[in-house]
This record gives sequence, C-alpha cells and structure tokens, in this order.
Amino acid sequence: MKFSTTDPASEPASILYARCTVDLKSGSMHTEDVPCRNLEDVLGGFGRSFQILSERQINTAYCEENPLIVNTGLLTGSSAMTGMRTYFSGYSPLKESKKGLPAAMWSTGSGNFGVKLKWTGLDELVFEGRSPKPVYAVIRDSPEGPVVELKPADHLVGLSTHAKIMALQKEYSNAHFAAIGQAGEQWENVYFGAVGLSTDNQLKSGEDKMRFAGRGGMGSLMGYKNILALVAQSSNKIKPLTPEVKAVNINVVKGGGAARLQPISRGGGGGTWAAYDVLQAFHAVPVNNFRPQGNDLPEKLFREHVEKQFMIKSEACYRCGITCHNNIHEKSEDGSAGSFLAKFDYEPLNLLGTNIGIHDARQAARLIHLSDNYGMDSISLGVTISYVLSYNERHPEQPLLNGATFGDFVKIEELITQTGRGKLLEIGRGSKRLSEITGETSYAYHVKGLEIAAYQPETNPGYAWAIAGGHMSMGTYGLLTREGKSDIDSWVTGITQTKLQIVGFDMIGLCKFFDITKGICTQMVVDCLKSEFNLEVTTENLAAAVRRAFLRGLALELRQGYEKGEYTLPAEVWEQPNPNIKLPNITNPEFMAELQKRVWAVFEPEMAGLLPEIE
Amino acid sequence: MNVTIQLIGTFQIGRFKEAVREYPSGTCVREVINELRIPDPLLGVVLINGIHAGTVDILINGDTLCLLPFIDGG
Repeated sequence: MKFSTTDPASEPASILYARCTVDLKSGSMHTEDVPCRNLEDVLGGFGRSFQILSERQINTAYCEENPLIVNTGLLTGSSAMTGMRTYFSGYSPLKESKKGLPAAMWSTGSGNFGVKLKWTGLDELVFEGRSPKPVYAVIRDSPEGPVVELKPADHLVGLSTHAKIMALQKEYSNAHFAAIGQAGEQWENVYFGAVGLSTDNQLKSGEDKMRFAGRGGMGSLMGYKNILALVAQSSNKIKPLTPEVKAVNINVVKGGGAARLQPISRGGGGGTWAAYDVLQAFHAVPVNNFRPQGNDLPEKLFREHVEKQFMIKSEACYRCGITCHNNIHEKSEDGSAGSFLAKFDYEPLNLLGTNIGIHDARQAARLIHLSDNYGMDSISLGVTISYVLSYNERHPEQPLLNGATFGDFVKIEELITQTGRGKLLEIGRGSKRLSEITGETSYAYHVKGLEIAAYQPETNPGYAWAIAGGHMSMGTYGLLTREGKSDIDSWVTGITQTKLQIVGFDMIGLCKFFDITKGICTQMVVDCLKSEFNLEVTTENLAAAVRRAFLRGLALELRQGYEKGEYTLPAEVWEQPNPNIKLPNITNPEFMAELQKRVWAVFEPEMAGLLPEIE
Repeated sequence: MNVTIQLIGTFQIGRFKEAVREYPSGTCVREVINELRIPDPLLGVVLINGIHAGTVDILINGDTLCLLPFIDGG
C-alpha cells in the first residue's frame, strides 16, 4: 500500500492499495493502484471485498460475473503478532436465501500464504470469469513490482490440499501456497470446499499441518474458476520490530488477550479444545446433531483422556507466541511423538466427533484428517452429516444414503470420503438443501443456509445476525454461557453494539486470538498502526469502520433476498426444548420475536445508503 | 462455614476436581480464587449453586462454587 497521509479516516483516498484483476478466460491481467474509498478499504479484508461485491447483482454463485477476491488486511505481513490472515470473498455457492440467491461471503485463515502475498507488493487479487483449463496462479515480487502469472495445473488435478502444496513446494522456493482439494475441484457437487493455506511447519515437516479458509465454499468457487492453487513467492520483508509493537506483542501473549489460549505447560488453557470442559459443565456440548443428552459422553474427548493415548504437541503459527494449536500425534514407545494424525480444535473435533456420535479420538482424528485433505469446511461437512444421521435415526426403515447412524464410524468415513470425491451431492450441497428435499427442516442446524458452529443454538440467538458464520462474525456465543446474560436488553446490546465488533479482525489481518474479547478497537491496534505505517487512527474511527462494514454485509444479505423471517434459529430449538441444557431457556418464540423487533429497529436506519445502486 | 468447590478443566491440574472446604463467614468468591491461585486471565465463569455470579459475591454455608476457565471461539 502507498500512504500519502497519516489520517486514513479523513483522507482515505490518499492511501492506495495494489490490486491485480485477472481475466481467467483470456488470461489477461491488469495491476493498478486503487485509492481507498473509506477506512474499510484501508483496513482491507471483507471491509474492502464486500464493497466490490456490493457493486454487482449476482443471481447464482457459479457464474462468470461472480469474482473471487483474494486479499489481505492492513496488518497482514506486519510485525504485529498474528498478522497472517488471508481473505477469500465472493458470492457463496453454499449460503443462499430462501429466494435462492447467493449471499456474499468471506472466509479467512492464517498460515504463511497471506504474509507472502502481502510481501509480493500486491494487496488484492480479483479473479474474473473462469479459466477454460485448470490453472494455478503465481504471484511474485520483482524489481518492477508484483507479477502475476497463470500456469497449467494438470499435474495438480485430483490431489489433496496437502499434496498440491507439497508438489508446488518442489517447484517454488521461498514461497507459500493456497490450494483446494478434490472437493473444491468437484464444485458442482460440493458447495463447502475449503482453501488450505500452507504453514512453515507443514513445509518443513511434510506433515499436513495446514490452516484453512473454510466457511461458505470459497474453495468451491475457486474450483469453479478452475484455479487449483495460488503461489506467493517473495523474499521476507518484515519490518524490524519496534519497541511499540514489541510491547503490543508481549501484551498479546502475556496479557489478558490470549493468555488463556496458551499451552497448559505455560499456564494457559490449552487452546480452543478447552471449550469442551466448560460447555460440558452446562451440558451444552453438541451431541448427536445438537441434542445434548445430559450425560458424560462428551467427556470421552476431553484432553485429559486423549493425552493418555496420544502425544499432544502444542504448536503455533509462524512468529505467533500464542501457540494455540493442539496437534495430535501417535505416541511412540519411547514416549516421543510419532506420526501426525490431526489438529484438535474445538469446532472440527466436536462436529466430526461428539456431534456425530464419535467418541474415540483416533476415529475423530481420522475424520478431521479426511475433511482437511479433501479440502472441506469441517463445520458444514460435520453438521450436514449429523443431519443425515439424525434423519436415519428417525427413519430406520427408509434411511438416507448408506444408512449411517450416530457413531457408525465405518459408514461415516465412507460418507466423508464420497462427499470429498464429489460423489454425494446430498451432503456436499449442505444441510439446508438436503432438508428441503427431505421436507424435514426443523433439525437442520444451519442459519441462513450456513451450518452453525459447535455452540448450541439455545445458547446463542445471535447466530441469526452473523453475516459470515455463527461464531466468527457475531461474538455472542459466550453471552449466555460465559456472561450469564439472559435478559433481552443484554442481547440487543450484544448483537447491535459490542459483539458485532468481532468482524474487525476479518478486515485488518489479525487473528481473533489477538484480543478476542475486545476486538480491534483498542490502543494495541492503534499503536501497531502508528508504528507500522505512521497512521493516526482512533479507536472510535476503527469502531465506526467495523460497524459500517458489518452493516454493509447485513444490507447485502437483504438485497440477496433474505427476509426477516430467515433471521432465526433451527425450529427444533423451541419445538422440542432440550431439558438437559443447564442454562436459562431464552430461545423461545417470544424472546426471538422481541429480539428481532428490537435488533432491526437499531440496524435498519443505519443500513440506509450503505450499498451502491445497481441496475 | 463449608463450601463445596468444583473446578473445571485445567483448573483441576495441581488442585482438585471437587472438594468441601471450610471458610470463615463472609468469604467472597475472590478470596477463594486467590487462595486457589487461579490466574485472572484464565477465569471465565463463576457459578454459585449453578447460577452465574461475580467475584465479589459473598458465599454462605452450604454453597457450591464452580469455577470454569474462559472459552474462546473454535
């Protein structure tokens, strides 16, 4: 980016970002410096990409007019800890309104690809149209500026995410990679393809320790466009660590922000896996398609039990001191780590474990491994499978597909393998479409067409207003469980004021674990922007930009045909209230109706004028 | 007075899972947390008799105090 001002809020046009638009059909490309329209453009990520998407009327995700936008955030590639995010945006093949129009969507992940992309000198790639043949794109720095090339990818066809990355690593040194798996290649039958992002750990060890941009099927959109991978090749251009950013980074690791995500050996909580223990105390760990049974079944996947059998390595993204990864390895006879099995984060572990009746760590690891390597979003995959299993439990005489039931590992493994290969469109197109075919929609655990995360909907009415996935674009998942808030005022304030700020991380290039409870509108971020770019920004400026970006996303949903009635939860939540969950029951129809009335009363007046007029 | 203390997740490491402990009348939650040396950044939820509570709340004889770690996304 090029800065000719220190005041990005008042003079955004004095800041230029480098964008390359690639016409996949002709192979032509055009790189330009684009003036920022507002602070959202300066920050980047979905704050910028959604403004591009809002300029287009897209009626189906798989069309040449639907762009795939790959960009970074302002602090991606900086010396600020966790500044490693890449964003993939487009109209989603998966998330759609009941009118059948695709929703704008972004997904994001860490790994080193975003850092390298930023260091090539490019801030944004816009892929237009569709390549007639499989290609991969190489983005590299040069003395004349960033260079983008399209290359034939026939040798990558049919490879997993990990295998594609390892194959490309042999060809490109000093590079990092983003790749889809077989699922993304089978975009017609898999709508939740993910993009795998390479890590230093992966490239050095040869183990499939990737990070993923999973939500909303951006990997499938990439597959539709016939782009199988991206290569970002650049020398390291990280700035020397200043005392100011060093102080911030120390605060991230040792202060309140992320201390609880540190390894247990360092006195931390042990990463997101720890949510199992906490939620189980309320019997709110999803079991068998989001129906906790009030028993101790979820405890079988507690860390304390898993570590008796396996070696758990606490590892981190490159240069990140948070060290939130829990990588599960075989335990060798001498007690050392054997072969790598899978990374145990709370969401994939639950949704490909306890929530489908799998309580064996080795089996859960196998399913996570399959999902990662085929390149599927583990949340959408897991929840759609749990719908199938729930249907089969209700209809033993006429089950779906192979008749798999909760806990039937062999048949579930077959479902995942077949879905990853594009052979099971019933699962590959997500729970909304499948439930509409069966006619049993009440226990399909999606909101607005996107499968929910591993937090019981009974504990999170805020899912309804999340704009890009339940827990990552609306931070209300702990409002009842953690904060004990069950009154309507707290929920209105949470949704409309404080908890929407979580999406700021998906603009600026930082991981949410930088400071998940406070968001990006903090002195820590202000200090980083001043130190890295000499920008004078206030926390109020940042909060206003994040709010506009969120509301723009909400407005875009309405323009894509969403009706107010779709801002709700799966009906089973109130049709069959679960007495096992030991928390106040707030998700009754009366509460939701009042919440809808009051939330929209706040949001609607502010949404006016946020979207451009389109023909 | 006797208070039943329940610790969840990593709070059990080097401590206990559940124990009945004796405290002077008027003891508040904060004093128990300090006594158990539970770091503030890790503390997520305080329950007294299954109801969300605060660290300044006063315990009474027969209470069950449950301390849970913070949860953060996934």
